[in-house]
Amino acid sequence: MTYVVTENCIKCKYMDCVEVCPVDCFYEGKNMLVIHPDECIDCGVCEPECPAEAILPDTAPGLDKWLKLNAEYAEVWPNIVAKGEPPTDAGAFDGQPDKFEKYFSSNPGQGDGPGNQPKDEEAAA
Amino acid sequence: MDAHRQARADPNTPAACCGSCAPEETVRIHQVTEPAVGLLVDRFYARVRKDPELGPIFAGAIEDWDPHLATMRDFWSSIMLTSGRYHGNPVAAHRRLAGLTPQLFERWLALFAETCGELFDEALAANFMDKARRIAASLQLALFYRPEHDRPRSAP
Repeated sequence: MTYVVTENCIKCKYMDCVEVCPVDCFYEGKNMLVIHPDECIDCGVCEPECPAEAILPDTAPGLDKWLKLNAEYAEVWPNIVAKGEPPTDAGAFDGQPDKFEKYFSSNPGQGDGPGNQPKDEEAAA
Repeated sequence: MDAHRQARADPNTPAACCGSCAPEETVRIHQVTEPAVGLLVDRFYARVRKDPELGPIFAGAIEDWDPHLATMRDFWSSIMLTSGRYHGNPVAAHRRLAGLTPQLFERWLALFAETCGELFDEALAANFMDKARRIAASLQLALFYRPEHDRPRSAP
């Protein structure tokens, strides 16, 4: 079980989610973020933080395409752990239809994870 | 929720005044605050450490409890108050532990539910338990799920 970043993140990329995620499982593309499905602990903290309402639980219907996209790009894009500056024109793209076809970029973003090394810390709960 | 109890559960004078006064109290906390999270974590792990099933697992993994309790307060504060204070990798932390079983996760959840039930009103306890169950399920998927053990699904 995981949460999934969906279409409306594209070109909006507000990144509020990154600040609250306890397990740093967001990965940054050029114009959207994705969640690593194997790192997400399903806590749901990020969902209400997204101003674009682009984050959904994988139990929501019709998310197969986005589940696959999140899993695929979380493996290749860099980790992001702190909110950066959202695009200045984010508001203009919020809610636009067909953003994937028009704007999706498979290019990686900057990322800011600690060297984007594999994480391995903290004791058990 | 019982209106009488709600009226008495003033968040400004929470039962979260100390770590030992609440079990017999009828006033239960109904709002998440940092002191409420702290009280839950301290009381829950005191119970875990005495538990015959969970105690030995934790004793084998944690040498110094003060930092661990601080980490767990940060974790639950991040989950329930979106404070962003915890940053870690619980999946990796649990992978290092030998002897974890789904039954131990159930035991953990039972003790957590017991502690939430003592301290919090029904709605707040349910909020904590909802998060705890989701996270426990997610950790177990990461730890125990083996796709090769899946039975082939029959065609619809």
